[in-house]
Amino acid sequence: MSAAGTRVAGRQTGLQMLSGQIPLLALVVLIAVSALVSDRFLSLQNISNVLIQTSIMAVVVIGMTLVIIGGGFDLSVGSVVALSGCIAAYIVRDVDTTLGIVVGTLVGTAVGVVNGLIVTKLRVNPFIATLGTMVLVRGVVLLVTDGRPIYDLPAGFIAIGGGNLFGIHYLIWILAALFAVFHWILHRTPYGVRVFATGGNREAAFLSGIEVDRVTISTYVWCGTLAGIAGVLLAARLESGNPTTGEFYELTAIAAVVLGGASLYGGEGKLYKSMVGVLIMVVLGNSLNIMGVPSYWQRVAIGVVIVAAAAADRFRRRG
Amino acid sequence: MVRRAKYNKKPMGALGGATASGTGEAVTGRESLLSADQVYKHFAGTQALAGVSVDCLGGEVHALIGENGAGKSTLIKIMGGVHRADRGTIRVAGDPRAFAGPADALAAGIVTIPQEMRIVPALSVAENVLLGHIPMRRRAGVLPDVDRIALRARAAEILHDLNFDIDVDRAAGTLTYAERQLVMIGRALSRRARVLILDEPTAALEAREVARLFDVIGRLKARGVALVFISHRLDEVVELADRCTVLRDGQVVDRCLRGEFDAERLIRSMTGRDLEELRRVHDARFGAAVLEVPSLGHAQSAPAESVLRVREREVVGLAGLLGSGTTQLLRRLFGADAPALRFTLRGAPAAPRSPAEAIALGFGLVPGERAHGLVMALSVRDNVALTLLDRNKRAWRLDGAMIDGLVAELMDALDIRPRDPAKPVGTLSGGNQQKVIFAKWLARQVGVLLLDEPTHGIDIGAKTLIHRLMHDFAAKGGAILFSSSETLEVVSISDSVLAMKKGEVVARMDRTGDYNEKRLREALGG
Repeated sequence: MSAAGTRVAGRQTGLQMLSGQIPLLALVVLIAVSALVSDRFLSLQNISNVLIQTSIMAVVVIGMTLVIIGGGFDLSVGSVVALSGCIAAYIVRDVDTTLGIVVGTLVGTAVGVVNGLIVTKLRVNPFIATLGTMVLVRGVVLLVTDGRPIYDLPAGFIAIGGGNLFGIHYLIWILAALFAVFHWILHRTPYGVRVFATGGNREAAFLSGIEVDRVTISTYVWCGTLAGIAGVLLAARLESGNPTTGEFYELTAIAAVVLGGASLYGGEGKLYKSMVGVLIMVVLGNSLNIMGVPSYWQRVAIGVVIVAAAAADRFRRRG
Repeated sequence: MVRRAKYNKKPMGALGGATASGTGEAVTGRESLLSADQVYKHFAGTQALAGVSVDCLGGEVHALIGENGAGKSTLIKIMGGVHRADRGTIRVAGDPRAFAGPADALAAGIVTIPQEMRIVPALSVAENVLLGHIPMRRRAGVLPDVDRIALRARAAEILHDLNFDIDVDRAAGTLTYAERQLVMIGRALSRRARVLILDEPTAALEAREVARLFDVIGRLKARGVALVFISHRLDEVVELADRCTVLRDGQVVDRCLRGEFDAERLIRSMTGRDLEELRRVHDARFGAAVLEVPSLGHAQSAPAESVLRVREREVVGLAGLLGSGTTQLLRRLFGADAPALRFTLRGAPAAPRSPAEAIALGFGLVPGERAHGLVMALSVRDNVALTLLDRNKRAWRLDGAMIDGLVAELMDALDIRPRDPAKPVGTLSGGNQQKVIFAKWLARQVGVLLLDEPTHGIDIGAKTLIHRLMHDFAAKGGAILFSSSETLEVVSISDSVLAMKKGEVVARMDRTGDYNEKRLREALGG
């Protein structure tokens, strides 16, 4: 009987592995269909566009994936993108480029620390805690900038958002590097196991000797830091610090993580799958654009995809 | 051997229909209110029920007993409409019925009182009793409104019949567990329940509360209700049951009527073995004291004799009912609950304030709920690795070779199946999951193993295996402190026993002295 049990289990794993790759298959199908419908889609110009568009959001998604796998949730990333971008822009314009980049990033780190402390020490639900900091940080951005964009950034800074190395955009290099580092951290280090364990079963992790509060705080710190980096990159790309940027980034990032199949209850997920998730969203928008679908309809389409992906995931877990 | 053959897995399902008349049912007026006839149920990989027949008569208490995993829960879930039988017939008052869901069973007058009470804390006792059919009236002839007077009166009447007089306006959330249970029974009566299924109703009750529940059960019996009673406490079964059906491995292995059974016969039927066989051959050559707890309180001055002592090669059992403080004591020793407990470990003072500190001191904890011991989504390997993470030489890279080697070794030693370290723990059977929890601590070679209800909710095979693992651990020089609410288990496998009540140790006995289950029960009861 145990042999039969093993065989059944083996088959289930095979099926699960296949169903676990649905997002990737969906992306491939999406690309194929887009390529068939429009010959512009696979042009080098468009591919490059898609990747650049993806890159900044993808940096945010890396952090979001960490937080969600760790059993948390971060709604404040969009506001952090704006705050980091604006602070970086001020310092870059008035003081020094490198200092601006560093401080802009550290602003994100600081918000991450605050989020982590609220969630662990005050035991506030992550959704509410980061909803609070989202509104709060957005308020700070508007206070600091008085609601006005910061222009006249030096060329050296702007080059980060527009220049390229070996024909490949800096932004894509940066994303690739961050992805490689965080993929390693999450899937190859003892720390990564701690994150998965904390998100998967906080009590079991605690009883296994893991300092769960510390792990949780660290995921928010990574997420805030990455949102800070994204904010700096966006400022460079837009050639300005803009207090209204980053709106809905949190929702797009969460949707991308969900599309990639990570569990919103924590403890499950793969970084590359979240990247697939964010690509699905960008490619979908891009191909609808190329096909001339009005932008209002694009939102409807993306909404449908998110709901469908979440429903498919529930179905997979139940079945 | 002859006797064993008699009880060993002899399928008696075929006799099912005959029991009511066959065993000389002379009492008139007792009709079959609910019966299961040759019921089969298969769950992924296990035959939970293989041709089980039971008959519940009005005005009778029918005890359903068996080890964990014997099929009791599956049977009552089928009778309560939660599961559907693969084969076989459920009859209500003689008529075959197919329940599509629990609502159908309820409508047929079959009510299950589960272990976790489904009351609505914010509503009053009266509203909870009459939930689902709260009396209404029309204000000014039009507006529907709750008829509070009728609501109170009806609920009070139902509870009064149970000899449970309570302020029905109280919020149900303020009731004790035992009171909630009576509210649930009241609710069942308000729905004209004819069959009441009580799933381990006494597991969390104090002796006084048990007496009150038994009084209620007696009243229901007198009214002609058929009662199905599931309990692990065999003395209660002997005291209460008019009829007893013993399940093992999904089959009926024994049926008996009041007067025909005693605890010993039931144990033999349940386990297929004699009581003596269950006792562990114990090794009296204990080593030095490993763990000594001077006091469970916060008193600074230590009493002359320590409350708790565990030596090398010793298995110490903490006996206590739910809520007696055994779990909390284990968790405090492990640094998982505040306040930290002061004790000496191999002579050195210690007071771990977190599991991480306790683990560093050489403790391991097997928690009461399997779900607290494992991260189900992670692989067997990663779960074992959780206790080894601080042994990694480099922070930036998991020491795969060290972990994989240990995991492979332990999977062989504990016979964890399937032998696939990459398999998510959640897909393993309960017994194998329990082995993985053991593997976590064996991998770390802890010196003191704390186990909270280690065999709760697992089948007899896995239970024997856990006992063997505990025994092996002790035999290799380890110290074991475990808790259990099953007095028989505690007495069978420990070298000395502490009885706990309300957070205090109330009695202590060891093998050199007067050591038996009866004495332990007396210490826990009353």
